[in-house]
Amino acid sequence: MKYYPKPLAELIGQLSKLPGVGPKTAQRLAFYILDMKKNEVNQLGESILEIKGKLTYCSSCHNLTQNDPCYICGDTKRDKAMICVVENVKDIIAMEKTGEYNGVYHVLHGAISPIDGLGPDDIKISDLLTRIEEGVVEEVIIATDPNVEGQATAMYISKLLKPLEIKVTRIAHGLPVGGDLEYADEVTLSKALEGRQEI
Amino acid sequence: MFLSQLYLRNFRNYNHEHLSFNQDLNLIIGANAQGKTNLLEAIYLLGTGSSHRTNIDSELIKWNEDKFYLKGELIKDNQKYQLEINSKGRSKEIKVNSNKLQRVSDLVGYLNIVIFSPEDLNLVKGSPSRRRKFINLEISQVSSYYKHLLTEYRKVLKQRNNLLKEIRDNNTPQHMLQVWDQQLVDLGSKIIKRRLEALDKLSILSKLMQRKITDGKETLILKYDTKLQLTSDSKEEIKEKFSQSLKKYRRQEIEHGVTKIGPHRDDISLLVNDINIRKFGSQGQQRTTALAIKLAELEFMKAEIGEYPLLLLDDVFSELDNQRQIQLLQNIQNKIQTFITTTHLDYRQSFDKEYKFFKIKSGSVTEG
Repeated sequence: MKYYPKPLAELIGQLSKLPGVGPKTAQRLAFYILDMKKNEVNQLGESILEIKGKLTYCSSCHNLTQNDPCYICGDTKRDKAMICVVENVKDIIAMEKTGEYNGVYHVLHGAISPIDGLGPDDIKISDLLTRIEEGVVEEVIIATDPNVEGQATAMYISKLLKPLEIKVTRIAHGLPVGGDLEYADEVTLSKALEGRQEI
Repeated sequence: MFLSQLYLRNFRNYNHEHLSFNQDLNLIIGANAQGKTNLLEAIYLLGTGSSHRTNIDSELIKWNEDKFYLKGELIKDNQKYQLEINSKGRSKEIKVNSNKLQRVSDLVGYLNIVIFSPEDLNLVKGSPSRRRKFINLEISQVSSYYKHLLTEYRKVLKQRNNLLKEIRDNNTPQHMLQVWDQQLVDLGSKIIKRRLEALDKLSILSKLMQRKITDGKETLILKYDTKLQLTSDSKEEIKEKFSQSLKKYRRQEIEHGVTKIGPHRDDISLLVNDINIRKFGSQGQQRTTALAIKLAELEFMKAEIGEYPLLLLDDVFSELDNQRQIQLLQNIQNKIQTFITTTHLDYRQSFDKEYKFFKIKSGSVTEG
């Protein structure tokens, strides 16, 4: 770092903390920012500041939002009787892109993982329960990630909801659509076979 | 299947070498520490994508170089396949017929390999983990789903062990175990089921091989050894017994903070004429048994994938007595491409078949 003037070294150091950015990329970005027009740099700086200052989490579903409740919870056309439980905000975006889902969401902000010291109380499970106890919800779709932590979280939630006698479902995992069966990898295919359905 | 060509660049102690192999038998001769095993390691790497000696890829790169390159030409069902590995230590690029593979594991299945090294003599007398590793590798080579089950199982195990310690220290209520138990049982029983099936086949084949080697004097039986007290190999029974045992060991598990039952604690018993030869067998018997299991492995692979794999004998041939050497050679005759490394030539005369031999001296090869 001794080759760079201090402010530049500082910027490179900050940028290289970002995921997917190594020292080389950080250097490239820093020099690019240096060449940008003053007002462009101001805009960039402002958007970075705003993301922290103007954004908050929806008090109902814990989605990231500018207004509370978020645009999904505030939408009267949405079916409030159906809640889709996801691990992260990014998962909502993925689900929304399908355009197929018309219910509301609940973001857990994590999954149960003893190694990371995360138990049910460290993610937004109790809030989910409060929402359900209001009595509007008829079905809960659990869309946590298909790994061991996501699976443990799904099992935990389904056990918790069992006495409430509402429908609890887990999204299926299996074959990608549009591909040929012969090109699917064996693991996915075996999973799909396990989760087969009657037609 | 057989490997017809091998090209190495900056691999271990090799600069660059281009070798063409015999379809049947290849002898690799040289003094110690000249690079014989490195050559086998290169072949093994082309088959499995990882080394049998190290998990650290950067160790495979020649000193003072920043990458290595391997290329092999494989003939299988009269088709040619070109396998390439390009590694910079951290990242590895693998190509089959010039097409880049997404995952290293996608390489498994092109070039199948059975390796027999001095370490394998420990298969019989070594710790249970040695035998678990053997059966895991065996099934993984023919089923990538099994490999997936193992990875998932290990993740659950790690989480569960962590949780057990938390419970012991009164940081978490006991009922939190439920969601991990369920996954442990589910994955674990699938693993056990597949092990039982594979062992069934391997046991029959090993018994046959042991009989052959010992002129019918010894009967070898491979038995799956588990705390679950199974009476059958039905999926339901394994699952149920597994759940029951978890309940039975719950207190102990919490006290020690580790999972005490499951496929990660199981073993394979080796019985010769009804005697556990791990404890009571002579060194010779243990060697014979290791050899019988390895020969059975070749047949097992043939049954599962329809073709014989390559056989790599790393420094073990000379450890076998004359009769066992002959027995081994008869078994691989004209059907299995074999690579043998050795330090001396004195038994060369006993090969009554065609072979090629390679002299290795400090990382350079001369064909003899």
